[in-house]
Amino acid sequence: MSQHALVELVQNLVPAHAGGDVSMGGHGRLSALRQDGLREFVRMGIPTTRHEEWKYTNVFPFIGLDYSYAPMRWDASSASAPAVVSAAEVRDALGQHISIRVLNGIVSVDAPQLPAGLEVIELTPELVESDAGVAAALSAGAPMHANPFVALNTALLESGIVIRLAKGLALELPIHVSIETTSGQQPMLVAPRILVIAHEGAEADIIQSHHASGPSIVLDATVVEFSVAAAANVRYHKIADDSESARSISSVTADVHRDASFTSHALSVGGRFVRNDLAVRLCEPSSQGFLYGVSLLAENEYTDNHTVVDHMLPHCHSEELYKGIYDGTSSGVFNGKIYVRPQAQKTTAYQSNHTLLLSPKAQVQAKPQLEIWADDVKCSHGATMGQVNDEAIFYFRSRGIDKDMAKALLTYAFITEVVEKITLDGLRELLTHRIARKLSAESLLF
Amino acid sequence: MTPLLQITNLRASIDDREILKGIDLTVNPGEVHAIMGPNGSGKSTLASVLAGREDYTVTGGSVLFQGKELLELSPEERSREGLFLAFQYPVEIPGVSTANFVKTAVNEVRKHRGEEPLEPAAFLALMRERMALVEMDPSFLQRSLNEGFSGGEKKRNEIFQMAMLDPVVAVLDETDSGLDIDALRIVASGVNALRRPNNATVVITHYQRLLDHIVPDFVHVLWNGRIVRSGDKSLALELEQRGYDWLKQEASVEA
Ligand SMILES: Nc1ncnc2c1ncn2[C@@H]1O[C@H](COP(=O)(O)OP(=O)(O)O)[C@@H](O)[C@H]1O
Ligand SMILES: [Mg+2]
Repeated sequence: MSQHALVELVQNLVPAHAGGDVSMGGHGRLSALRQDGLREFVRMGIPTTRHEEWKYTNVFPFIGLDYSYAPMRWDASSASAPAVVSAAEVRDALGQHISIRVLNGIVSVDAPQLPAGLEVIELTPELVESDAGVAAALSAGAPMHANPFVALNTALLESGIVIRLAKGLALELPIHVSIETTSGQQPMLVAPRILVIAHEGAEADIIQSHHASGPSIVLDATVVEFSVAAAANVRYHKIADDSESARSISSVTADVHRDASFTSHALSVGGRFVRNDLAVRLCEPSSQGFLYGVSLLAENEYTDNHTVVDHMLPHCHSEELYKGIYDGTSSGVFNGKIYVRPQAQKTTAYQSNHTLLLSPKAQVQAKPQLEIWADDVKCSHGATMGQVNDEAIFYFRSRGIDKDMAKALLTYAFITEVVEKITLDGLRELLTHRIARKLSAESLLF
Repeated sequence: MTPLLQITNLRASIDDREILKGIDLTVNPGEVHAIMGPNGSGKSTLASVLAGREDYTVTGGSVLFQGKELLELSPEERSREGLFLAFQYPVEIPGVSTANFVKTAVNEVRKHRGEEPLEPAAFLALMRERMALVEMDPSFLQRSLNEGFSGGEKKRNEIFQMAMLDPVVAVLDETDSGLDIDALRIVASGVNALRRPNNATVVITHYQRLLDHIVPDFVHVLWNGRIVRSGDKSLALELEQRGYDWLKQEASVEA
């Protein structure tokens, strides 16, 4: 088998493992982890559409390009890098917030003073070596053995971002992580790694947005891991509203402990290629997971949401609502797995996925997969796929509202239920406007 | 005087089945017409064809609306010109608030007339005033259009929309069906409050009881796609007593 260019690139970037403790000049845990990542990446290779999890997700059109790699580095001087327009838009919408920017791999933290109890620190070999909490959280969740791009990200893990919330810290300001990448003549690969550790009772909102620019393709293989301790409450928002050059493959995992809650909003309002893998593990009793998704696609855009909710122990609750609107020749995938393990009695798990097709050429694959091994549970899933209701359109037209406006209003109406789940006012308004703009319905709604 | 609505030999079919088989009807300013007839006779079809529903194919005849050919206009243009249809079954629209819907509709009509959109405050005041006509609580404004509304609330909402759009000709398709006596009175007084010398109302109904409240100048009986008899309000009373069978027999003898 001929070696794939991307595999070769990654191989060349991972130094051989010398073994031993970092403090003794050795390479330590992180280096060992990278070796594992590399081995797994080489073993799995690039997933083809024969692979069950990648059946509709064809990476081959862009995966074979000659990528240069922008490794993560921390910028000591911090901030004041040139702004990418749409990232700035997110920042404006959020108002006061804590900004972490990753500009072509260079991390800067833009907050004069972090609130007490919040740490934003570099993930270094030393930290992984010395901090058992970080070491445990790192790769506890990310499916390095199953997802080739998580393996790739792990192989390249020289540096990353650790966001740590102290016990009981209810963070008032949201944290925005913007991943901004500008390619030159050569396609560019970035693989940011973000670890969020919320200690007991902590509460935070995290917004992650991706912004690619430049003439060549940007392949962004971000991995985010959440460790949500007892009674903590983390709300995560991933905005994909990216340019034609972006190819985003991201993996997010959350381990949710007793009485804790994790909420995810996968907000895809643009992007040529977006693959979101999200796995929420309800790993202690009475934990909760809320998974929301909006895909509003047009032209040749593509978004693939693969979600897993794993009910491991009793009395956990999960709720999943994904809605997609597809126009033009856009396409999408929703694959939602729910596992209810034998011990997980008294589980409540609800999933629904609704699709609106605005064009006969748009395509959607929707696949719910419920695997339930416990008997005393309440689980349901529902999926619909349809077009804009003609009766409704006629009703609008009979009131003087033309067909296009009617369609835009109805389309907007279809998706607003999910947008309304966003509790951050600024972000919700931004999304609302963004959606209205994409539907050419701004004048109708505001 | 130009009639507001002049229907001549109107024929319409659906899936090659003729439903309207030559309808003639003239409505002048200030008039109230009632169209009655048994189920399936084509009353809603007539209303839908007037409003421009595309499921039906007009196979003959003409409809002049204030002298203009109505059938050439799109449904939205008909509405903007001043035709209003109160639906027999108003559609539920989750996610679109009643206020936003009505605001969009009114502003489209205003734009058509070359008027500026209403200021939000003026608009809200107007909505509240018109809701009061049909005793609708303002809380309905924020609710999704017709979603979860009771039958009576939906019908009141139709008349509220009519009040906001201030049409030249309103066609009410069984606005009375499913209403209790109080709701019937409310809806009827709303409709009456909107009557003026320069507009007109066409009331489609099964029952005489609505016509006690909205008193018609003319009553027409539609049967099997044709108007088989026209008269004044006493015809409605006669139908109430005798049913439709005698008319059906007469009509089939004539045919
Ligand atoms: N959309 C439609 N598709 C097929 N048949 C229809 C449709 N609408 C009406 N019809 C038929 O046309 C006839 C007249 O119906 P309708 O106009 O609803 O009568 P009415 O309102 O007087 O009860 C009925 O036989 C009905 O079945
Ligand atoms: Mg009818």
